[in-house]
Amino acid sequence: MNATVIIIFLVIVAMTLVITYFAAKRTNTTSDFYTAGGGLTGWQNGMAIAGDYLSAASFLGIAGSIALFGFDGFLFSIGYLVAYLVVLFVVAEPLRNLGKFTLADMINARFNAKKVRGAAALSSITIVIFYMIAQLVGAGALIQLLFGIDYLWAVLLVGIMMTIYVLFGGMTATSWVQIIKAVLLMVGTVILSFLVLQRFDFSILEMFAQVKTATPHGEAFLNPGVKYKIPLDTISLMLALVLGTAGLPHILMRFFTVRDAKTARSSVMWATWIVGIFYVMTIFLGFGAAAFVGSETIISTNPAGNMAAPLLAQALGGDILMSFISAVAFATILAVVAGLVLSGASAFAHDIYGQIIKKGKATERQQMLAARYASVGVAVLSITLAIFAQSLNVAFLVSLAFCIAASANLPVIVYTIFWKKFNTTGAVSAIFTGLISALILVSISPSVMNPEAGAAIITGNPIFPLTNPAIVSIPLGFIGGLIGTLLSKESDAKKYAEVKVRANTGGFRQL
Amino acid sequence: MAKTIAGSEKSIAHPNGNERQHAVREERPEGHIPDFKAIEESAGFRELMRKKKAFLIPTTVLFLGLYLLFNVIISYTNLLDASFIGDISWVWVFAFGLFAMTWILVTVYMKRAAKFDEMARETLVEFNYDKEENR
Repeated sequence: MNATVIIIFLVIVAMTLVITYFAAKRTNTTSDFYTAGGGLTGWQNGMAIAGDYLSAASFLGIAGSIALFGFDGFLFSIGYLVAYLVVLFVVAEPLRNLGKFTLADMINARFNAKKVRGAAALSSITIVIFYMIAQLVGAGALIQLLFGIDYLWAVLLVGIMMTIYVLFGGMTATSWVQIIKAVLLMVGTVILSFLVLQRFDFSILEMFAQVKTATPHGEAFLNPGVKYKIPLDTISLMLALVLGTAGLPHILMRFFTVRDAKTARSSVMWATWIVGIFYVMTIFLGFGAAAFVGSETIISTNPAGNMAAPLLAQALGGDILMSFISAVAFATILAVVAGLVLSGASAFAHDIYGQIIKKGKATERQQMLAARYASVGVAVLSITLAIFAQSLNVAFLVSLAFCIAASANLPVIVYTIFWKKFNTTGAVSAIFTGLISALILVSISPSVMNPEAGAAIITGNPIFPLTNPAIVSIPLGFIGGLIGTLLSKESDAKKYAEVKVRANTGGFRQL
Repeated sequence: MAKTIAGSEKSIAHPNGNERQHAVREERPEGHIPDFKAIEESAGFRELMRKKKAFLIPTTVLFLGLYLLFNVIISYTNLLDASFIGDISWVWVFAFGLFAMTWILVTVYMKRAAKFDEMARETLVEFNYDKEENR
């Protein structure tokens, strides 16, 4: 570790702590804690959504994947971006109009049943924990590479930072950490892209011509099929990505930080531009790394290609740029995990403690305390799991989280808003069918079972052939909701009229 | 159409009718529950739902359809491997097309949604629920 990297690193840590200090002064109520008082503007929330969404896997992972596999490395980005149309068209506005702090609030605007809330909270917590383990394990390995700190200390460092932001600064601190991260990430990527394009004389054609001969894959590098060779598996994964974003608790939670549906909508617009432009630039980063670093060097530093972007920064801008990009990667990790802690805490403290155990009668003070205890609890639990999972291959957990979000959360959201006959039995069965089928199928899939010892968690032949079960579990979630609804006679047309009117007009928020 | 809210039949779908409705609003008793069925069945709200569906259903089918089509084509065929210009194949053109589609649909929806907002507001005005305390 050189002096520049330490200085940039400390500046970022100091900056986020100053934000947390000021945010702490403004965090007095549960509404402040979970939603920053609901006062964010469209562009602020849009940047924060991008900051929440673009993980280190997006930044370092996709750039590295493009450098090693060409087009196939870029494939995920398409799903990650188009997903925002589902968020915008289906989820964002009804969520803002009906909910308060969590997804379960929105579904319960229609049902007001403990079992529905419990089921929704459980699926949110499952998604958050899986996503978090993947982030923390990845973060530990990355920080080890970037800064030469031991895995254990790296995970603890990230874990302590995220806990401080959330515990003291709640959603205000989390949002601003995410906004700053989004700015740093965009600045870093623009600089790198500019330097790469300069080397190609600002000609995209020239860039394609050069990378065609720069990698061991030759011409195939520029077309699909280098990495993803099983058609149905690719389609299943891409389905999980496009439909999963609209069910991710930490993304959904961001829509409670704005005052109305109109602002929720404009935050999605900001997010799609930032996220989309970022993904376009990862092509330049990946191609640049393939051409100017070379796949041999990239693989020898990290077999998954995660070091491609930092190595490219080193090659084009020397130590200072490399330090800056490493620090950006660190900020990227912090912003994502802080958002995850907050959404996990809201499911525990608001849904399970406040609404189910205390039946919505907890005092403001009790709720604040519960929120803070839950934040620490979620943080400690995920840090512990991440430490034990160090040697496991957990990269698949991110796409599993998208799969559960698409299978357990999206069907119930869609039915709640659009289906008049939908009822409590249907809601519970939609969530559990999606959640359980995704979990079972993935645990017998090649992601978990691999005949080669050490390649996956269990050694053995996979029973289910696809690495991501989305193509089966998403329809199952919808069918589960359908069957559950038809099995029960219960139906409340009056309540549906209320939900429909409230979701579509934004009126009657106090109900 | 049953309207149980005092004075609501007097009001019309007019954005500038605020002054006149002020007195009426105060008449609502504590714990008053709005008649959502009446609002849901009102002509204005039904028109809003019809307009929303007319936009959202075709566009959702379009974007999900194109997205799936893209994934099926690249997974099962080599159709898009052909050259577009130089070494850039059609797969990049289609992929960027999906990016452009996302930005275009978001922009178009923002414009449409502004109209939906106006219609939603008119419905709330019609039933006297457009004031801040009812939001």
